[in-house]
Amino acid sequence: MFWLGLIVLIPLAGIFTRAASLGLSDFFTILVDPRILEALKLSFGGALIGALINTLVGPVVAWVLVRYEFYGRGIVDAVIDLPFALPTAVAGLALAALYAPNGWLGAPLADAGIKVLFTPLGVIIALTFIGLPFVVRTLQPVLADLEPEIEEAAATLGASRWQTIRKILLPALLPTLLTGFALAFARAVGEYGSVIFIAGNLPYKSEIAPLLIIIKLEEFNYPAATAIAAIMLVMSFLILLIVNLLQGWARRRTGYAG
Amino acid sequence: MDVTEKSAPIRIDVKDLRKSFGAFAALDGVSFTVQPGELLALLGPSGSGKTTLLRAIAGLSPAEQGTIHFNDEDATTLSLRERRVGFVFQHYALFRHMTVFDNIAFGLRVRPRRERPAESEITQRARRLLEFVQLGGLEKRFPAQLSGGQRQRVALARALAIEPNLLLLDEPFGALDAKVRKELRAWLKDVHRETGLTTLFVTHDQEEALELADRVVIMRNGRIEQIGTPSEVYEEPATPFVCEFLGNVSKFDCTIRDGEAEVAGSLFPVGEENGLNGPGVAYVRPHEFEIVIDEHGEGLPATVKSVRPFGPTVSVELVLAGRDGPIEIAVPRELIGLGDVQPHRVVHIRATAARIFAAG
Amino acid sequence: MQFISTSPRLANVSEPLTVRFLLLGLTLVYLLAMLVLPLGVIFVEAFRKGYETYAASLLTDDSIAAIQLTLLVAAIAVPANVVFGLAASWSIAKYDFKGKSFLITLIDLPFSVSPVVAGLIYVLMFGAQGYLGPYLQAHHIQIIFAVPGIVLATIFVTFPFVARQLIPLMQAQGSDDEEAALSLGASGLRTFFSVTLPNVRWALLYGVLLCNARAMGEFGAVSIVSGHIRGKTNTMPLHVEILYNEYNFVAAFAVASLLAFLALVTLGLKSALEWRYGGELAVSRGH
Repeated sequence: MFWLGLIVLIPLAGIFTRAASLGLSDFFTILVDPRILEALKLSFGGALIGALINTLVGPVVAWVLVRYEFYGRGIVDAVIDLPFALPTAVAGLALAALYAPNGWLGAPLADAGIKVLFTPLGVIIALTFIGLPFVVRTLQPVLADLEPEIEEAAATLGASRWQTIRKILLPALLPTLLTGFALAFARAVGEYGSVIFIAGNLPYKSEIAPLLIIIKLEEFNYPAATAIAAIMLVMSFLILLIVNLLQGWARRRTGYAG
Repeated sequence: MDVTEKSAPIRIDVKDLRKSFGAFAALDGVSFTVQPGELLALLGPSGSGKTTLLRAIAGLSPAEQGTIHFNDEDATTLSLRERRVGFVFQHYALFRHMTVFDNIAFGLRVRPRRERPAESEITQRARRLLEFVQLGGLEKRFPAQLSGGQRQRVALARALAIEPNLLLLDEPFGALDAKVRKELRAWLKDVHRETGLTTLFVTHDQEEALELADRVVIMRNGRIEQIGTPSEVYEEPATPFVCEFLGNVSKFDCTIRDGEAEVAGSLFPVGEENGLNGPGVAYVRPHEFEIVIDEHGEGLPATVKSVRPFGPTVSVELVLAGRDGPIEIAVPRELIGLGDVQPHRVVHIRATAARIFAAG
Repeated sequence: MQFISTSPRLANVSEPLTVRFLLLGLTLVYLLAMLVLPLGVIFVEAFRKGYETYAASLLTDDSIAAIQLTLLVAAIAVPANVVFGLAASWSIAKYDFKGKSFLITLIDLPFSVSPVVAGLIYVLMFGAQGYLGPYLQAHHIQIIFAVPGIVLATIFVTFPFVARQLIPLMQAQGSDDEEAALSLGASGLRTFFSVTLPNVRWALLYGVLLCNARAMGEFGAVSIVSGHIRGKTNTMPLHVEILYNEYNFVAAFAVASLLAFLALVTLGLKSALEWRYGGELAVSRGH
């Protein structure tokens, strides 16, 4: 267990002591730098949007995979894990090529006047890509475990299918959906590899916070790098805390474990 | 008490219902009629098709063949909503994220707008149902905060709220412990009397079926073995299976000769339908034996294994020569001097009644 | 069987066929665009100029050095995490001690910390301006911008994979088997190898699989500590980035295709394990 402490705990404490040693005023001077603010906004905003997209699409995907039987379901199910398994740099490279103005998807989008490469939209696409399995994989087992009798009961009581989904299934899945959202969000905030290629990293525009940490490090500006890292850790922690509270509330409110 | 505000109860006609799961025939040509206002039990071992039958009537899993009529209306063409079936699930299937009140009101609130009662009327009706199922005051609780018996009552109130045409209950007491089970049994009988609804319930407990139901449908392998009142199926079982399933019988092999068979020391006439000659099986219930303490050797010799002299009848276990396992008989306490019937003593017994079937 | 049907137990209450087709169609199109196309583009781009260019770009000294380094890092990090993972899950599952739930949270930490932050941590620890920097310099030990740093960062980010698979399984299995073996006179070590290990072998393999995929593919954390010295501290994912930035796209996609292939093999084995030993692994799944 000594190793665990050495590898995990001490270094993390290091960030905070480093950040703390900056002193409050220095700390804030660094953080109000507009370039850093923009980067933080993009990382958190993009992660939020990506996680929201996944929270909308994920349930549909999970639903289809759990409830419908079709040829190739096993393969489709395995494909969901691709963002887990594909090294982030490879994913980033692939997304950049795919959405380049001459890419398979980039070309039609460019024709429609939508530019993805080197824009915040590209960042959002990358963050949606890596977050999908978190939502789907969290939902799947819960969806599979729902008693079919609950839906049958609603049907015998005269509820339409849509009413059953809206009034019975969604509340039942809400805590789990929040868990999936939190996981996807946490992962997206800190994501680096799959974003930087498609983002193009234009300062003030498509530069994410983790990249800025690296840039600051390369400039040997350790205080700035540490400050960004510290604020990211704190904000992630706060958001996860809120989601956790929401989840506890939903679980109590709905009687469903998530 | 007027909880359902209903017109006359309906009749259900089931004709030649068939359904299979793969190679397994869950329903293999089932036909019967449920009279308006009847309380009917579907009784059988697991896998006999009784739950499949109930779900087919509810419209939850349609049969592949056959028809179901509610009065003169073909139910198979009706949607679940139009069927208006009050269905109580084995594990209640309450909506866990809704209060007891919201559970009960659900069926009213999901109605299309023009059929939906005003919220004040919904409230009123739900309150009345809560009183009816003796849960007044618990409307703000969540299902997780209720006991099993209370959940069952909520499930029933929820089913009654939609003013159902008929009430279907799947193993209504299966998940409850013995004491609550007995209480709810009496209560269900009351509910049936007060609502007057045509009611079907599934059970694998023959005691429950015989005690509660107006008539019992006994099922096996997707077919109906017998339909009848509790006393009919008990006294005049149509098949060996019904005999054995209704519990506690001793089975004897016998030979039918010239319309008679000798069973356990007595000679019984055999109806023509069971064949006049050939091998047969006979079933005798515990109280259909008598002990003969006569020395002339009339009846079957049997060795007393144990005596349990509790209650109005005395239960005696006996070992018969050439027979695997002991048989149980019940004799009125006053008919035997307890001193004569003691372990290890040999007595003679005789059957006073028997149901005899051609073997095979 | 029809092309699309609902699971048998729900055949009675389901969506209309048109809705089902619509949902399935949308799902398939979405997954195709979001997941399958990126995978396809890698291989198409890699072979755009033919097989020979592909092979040639993989056989440069720098590429070979990157492949070797990646294999070396995985060869150290994965066994290390197997040992740590076994030790951690063993102590969590079989013993009661204060701060146990804290420890479990701690094990998950690398999942929730950005890999870039993880890398930063090591720079702050071992870098020239780090806490241990002066000491290390005095003793001529180089960790940051060298292989040891890469290995450490990789161990950090892949730490949870093995432990997370094992902890729930070991907890579910309890210590009855071990106690039985010990009471029969088996030694502690013998008990571990003949009772504990076989009980968890598939979950362990599953964890190793995921751990290895991440170890070979880790980018963010490694990027910070490596220093990108070609032929020396460049792992495959880092090499991909360098080649891309040099507009050497075919080579970048060629190296990426190797990693993508690794991901496919991982997915295949993972699905096979889940299919074959689903019940056993189910204990450990669910985030």
